[in-house]
Amino acid sequence: MGMKTYLIDDDKLGIYLTEQLLRAEGFSNSISSFESAREALDKLLGEKADTTPQVIFLDLNMPLMDGWQFLEALQPYRERLLGHCSIYILTSSLALADLEKSRHYDLVTGLIHKPIDSGEIRAIQAQLQPTTGPSSGPAAPSRP
Amino acid sequence: MNLSDDSASSKLFLNDTAAFFALSPHGKIRQASPLFARLLSREAASLLGRNLSEYLPAPDLGRWQQLVSLAMAGEVVRYEGPVLLPGKVAECRITLFPLLADSQITGVYGVASHLSERDLPTRAVLAREQQMSVIFDTISDVTFVLQVEPGEQYRFVFTNLAFHKITGLPLGRGVGSFVQDIIPEPSLTLVRSKYAEAVRTRQPVVWQETTDYPTGRLIGEITITPVFNEAGECCQLVGIVHDLTRQKRIEEDLRVSNERFQYAIKATTDALYDWDMATDMLYWGEGYETLFGHRLRQNPELFSQWAEHVLPADAQRVVGGLRYLAYETTQWHWQEEYRFQRADGSWAWVYDRGYIVRDEQDRPLRMIGAMQDISERRAAQERQRLLGERLSRQNADLQQFTYIVSHNLRAPLANALGFAQLLERAAPGSDIFNNSLQNLHTSLRQLDGVLTDVNTILSVRDQQEGYRPELVPLATVCAEALQGVKQLLESCGGQVHVAIADELRLPGRRAYFHSIFHNLLSNAIKYRADDRPLRVDIEATTDAAQFTTITVRDNGRGFDLATAGDNVFQLYRRFHPDQDGRGIGLFLVKAHVESMGGRVSVESQEGVGTQFLVYFSSYGHENLPD
Repeated sequence: MGMKTYLIDDDKLGIYLTEQLLRAEGFSNSISSFESAREALDKLLGEKADTTPQVIFLDLNMPLMDGWQFLEALQPYRERLLGHCSIYILTSSLALADLEKSRHYDLVTGLIHKPIDSGEIRAIQAQLQPTTGPSSGPAAPSRP
Repeated sequence: MNLSDDSASSKLFLNDTAAFFALSPHGKIRQASPLFARLLSREAASLLGRNLSEYLPAPDLGRWQQLVSLAMAGEVVRYEGPVLLPGKVAECRITLFPLLADSQITGVYGVASHLSERDLPTRAVLAREQQMSVIFDTISDVTFVLQVEPGEQYRFVFTNLAFHKITGLPLGRGVGSFVQDIIPEPSLTLVRSKYAEAVRTRQPVVWQETTDYPTGRLIGEITITPVFNEAGECCQLVGIVHDLTRQKRIEEDLRVSNERFQYAIKATTDALYDWDMATDMLYWGEGYETLFGHRLRQNPELFSQWAEHVLPADAQRVVGGLRYLAYETTQWHWQEEYRFQRADGSWAWVYDRGYIVRDEQDRPLRMIGAMQDISERRAAQERQRLLGERLSRQNADLQQFTYIVSHNLRAPLANALGFAQLLERAAPGSDIFNNSLQNLHTSLRQLDGVLTDVNTILSVRDQQEGYRPELVPLATVCAEALQGVKQLLESCGGQVHVAIADELRLPGRRAYFHSIFHNLLSNAIKYRADDRPLRVDIEATTDAAQFTTITVRDNGRGFDLATAGDNVFQLYRRFHPDQDGRGIGLFLVKAHVESMGGRVSVESQEGVGTQFLVYFSSYGHENLPD
């Protein structure tokens, strides 16, 4: 069980950490990690409808292609992804401007500040798998 | 010679020794002596009952009637003039007396005689005198005649109407009086000395005097002209006081106004001008030479000579615009700001305003205006603008800096927090536990690294205050920086070629130039291409305008400038994901260059190499506020 998940972060430590935290909550056993957003983009656009990841954790501050550029690159595929793929911005930034900006992208389901904690992981689970997830989880980190 | 007795008078009329007659109050002849009848060449009886005026020519009738009235009023009056005789005119003298009866004037009687030949010139003189008196009374200048008497005594023998009007003396008074009875001190002493002078020098004496009369203050020019008798003695003085009050007041007003204008011109530092459009000449006020140092070979000078000093880039707008406004519109006010060349070749910023004088058809005649040197104001504005730009840039930099620093502080901190979470759950000794502990350390080291960077960057900013540039020998500093990366260079087989003149000195801070070379060299080494040995060329060139350009060019990997954009010099911005860089080096290069008033730019091509250009103006610091 578990949801197919993409983890996009240029920071090796950050990827290792998030992966371990997700595994500890039994979030997914199918996690693909990308240190480059471009790499992740190519992979994502190559996925078929049934292999498209259900969740993407996206870091914002990355070289060459940052999180925002990644979201912009996805705009042409918006229809295809909406309802099938939930993108969570996972950032160490506390800037309100980022939160504000994230609202302009309907592909973005939520914004989570690093480090992600177990409550947040469970809430996402509840949100995406309402039938199978725990019914008494904490409030979902839905669209802020 | 009043006659109060009718019988006595009757006797007189029979006496034929004089030409007597008696008139009624209306001038009708009541009695006429034979001699009088003979004088009129008529029968005595034919005269009775007729009006004597019938025997006088028409032009003299008015005067005659007046004389009769005066006699009826009790005065003794005299008529000298023509009398009509049958077929001819005779000059006669007729004296009229009031005729008293019971202490009442009941009529007039008179005595007449032919005027002798001797009397005739006297009459002519009297007539002229009378004419003169009319003239004197109609002229507005105070006019008087003084009779010079022994003992330096001066007696008024004639005064005109203006004399009485201005002095306030009643008409009857004055004539017959001595000057000391009319003129008070201190004027008296002055006028007496002037009268004496005229008598002594036999020349007219002229002076100006301010006198307070009952009718007000009068500034007069007084002329005293001596008149001589047949013996050549000065017998009379003719005085004329010409009223200068009005003229003097106008002159004084004009003088004050002129003086005010002159002071206004002195007070202003403007160059005033008067452009005569008919001749196309400009007349300059003194400010023009003072302000711009141009020596006027002639004043006025040609309009075109002004136009030639206007900055060519401004000329169309200013000179063309002015001519258009003057000739093609009906506007009267013109103003422009432009650059104007001084005699020494430098450019002054000028604020010029002019008023165009037009005729009834709105055709321009002249323009009066003023050029004001606003160079200082413009320079201050420019400094203000630069300061504003600089502040706003610094502010943007600071905001960016804050954002980046907070993010880069938060990133390792978030990781540290996360690994601490994992440590709580993982079993000690397990792989996850050991990895998490190690990663926690790494994260904390990164956090420390960021804080160290922040400290370095803030120290650059701090040192900018009270910064005094020194002349830094560029070649020496570059060699020192090379020494610092010598080992790294040798280990990768890189070569560096330096072409910087030994004598080149740039104003700035030695440590900053060292940092610039060090960071650019480190950058070149770090991002060298794997398939070819690294070669770095460093050179410095100075152009005629004293701008120095330092070029650091490598044959490394390069990067896509379009993607990188302005982010190359940003803090923690990296373009090579596989290289372990912190992304502070180029940020420091930019901070150091800019703190010394320079600019840095970059050109790069993927797979070919990268070139950094650093520009310094040798006098850049004077242009930029710190």
